[in-house]
Amino acid sequence: MFPVINLGPLVLPTAGLLYILGAWFALSLVERTAKQLKLSSEKTYGTAATALFGGLIGARLTFVVIYWQVFQDNLLGIIWPLNTGYNLWGGLIIGLAAAFFYGRYHKLPAASTLDALAPGLILGLIVISLADFLAGPGFGTLTRVPWAITQYSMRRHPVQIYEVLVGLLALFTWWRLRNGRTFSGQLFLLTVTIYSGGRLLVDAFRENAWLSDGGYHILQILSLIVMVSSLYLAAHLGEKELQKRRQNASG
Amino acid sequence: MARLRFERTILLAALTALGITWILFSREEVSEPRPIALTEAPIVGHLAPDFTLTTPLGEEVSLTDFVDRDGASGQPVVLNYWASWCGPCRVETPEFQNASLRFKNQVAILGINQGEDAQTVTEFGLSFGLTYPLLVDEDNAVNLTYGVNSLPTTIFIDRKGVVREVFIGILNEAVLTERLNRLLEEG
Repeated sequence: MFPVINLGPLVLPTAGLLYILGAWFALSLVERTAKQLKLSSEKTYGTAATALFGGLIGARLTFVVIYWQVFQDNLLGIIWPLNTGYNLWGGLIIGLAAAFFYGRYHKLPAASTLDALAPGLILGLIVISLADFLAGPGFGTLTRVPWAITQYSMRRHPVQIYEVLVGLLALFTWWRLRNGRTFSGQLFLLTVTIYSGGRLLVDAFRENAWLSDGGYHILQILSLIVMVSSLYLAAHLGEKELQKRRQNASG
Repeated sequence: MARLRFERTILLAALTALGITWILFSREEVSEPRPIALTEAPIVGHLAPDFTLTTPLGEEVSLTDFVDRDGASGQPVVLNYWASWCGPCRVETPEFQNASLRFKNQVAILGINQGEDAQTVTEFGLSFGLTYPLLVDEDNAVNLTYGVNSLPTTIFIDRKGVVREVFIGILNEAVLTERLNRLLEEG
């Protein structure tokens, strides 16, 4: 594993570098996909950037609020160091809310915008898996399969690489369907279905998974809920679209 | 349309059933501690390598003085790797001193120096008024065992001697407090 990259006297954390690169690539990708779907690339990019930076600031502020007794005498600590001190749920809620209000303000079509954002979201998740793989905080279960990797002196499932493959499959799905969507939101829902289904499958091979009290993989449960909900919505909206087309054809 | 709906329902039900079966199949036994501490390695989930170092006064300190690999009677340990020339280490050192007082007798904080002599370690401790043990590792043996190539590095070890986190960079008080509380809660 390569948790840090040594460049002479400089020691750079691999994960941090990948996150920065990943954010840049994801935003660039959103800009391109918006153009492909004939949306305003500027506003769609703005939505993604608002979600990203709103999420980061929200995650930091939530952390600061929770631990205010520590920060009240050390205000500089609110902005430095930045390599730690974030609250995931605070970031998610504030990031999504910021993007929602940005979209509302600019009167963006919600479903089509989600279609354009999906590849950026998946790319971001791929980068997180890749950073996990290189920096080494997560690892797979023991195995003897031929493609096992030696990690921490043992042969293990390359679980983060499985996650990357799942992400690539979701991106491929989006790319294949991009010109043939039958209703707005279809690309987003199907991409999310593929990705969550894949994560449901591969999380079984993670050694240090997030477990419930009963020993169930929490990420698998969440993935199943997301997969079934998004597939149901895709089928339901597809059916409505079909009905509308039939009515139009008969009328 | 009714046929389409029927097929959709069957597909969703089948996928849900498959998903639930897979979740049940992937379930892990948690009534006993999870067997992830397979080998000694300075890596999350493994047993932290034991070591013995001395304080500048010559007192020997070992990791196994604090952790209890066979039971739960040990206490969590924080290894903070530092050097006197390391600016970021100086920034975070007061946080470790505060934490060592707040978590006294609950968590052991050990400051492991990188490659400097006992005199330098003593002067550093006195300049910051440190009361937690500072350990001399002049030949870098323990630094190498733990693969420390960037300062500061902090390693969080639970009471059973399993590495819970390897943190590279400056820790602030909030993060340190959160990590120490988590170590204590994990039991």
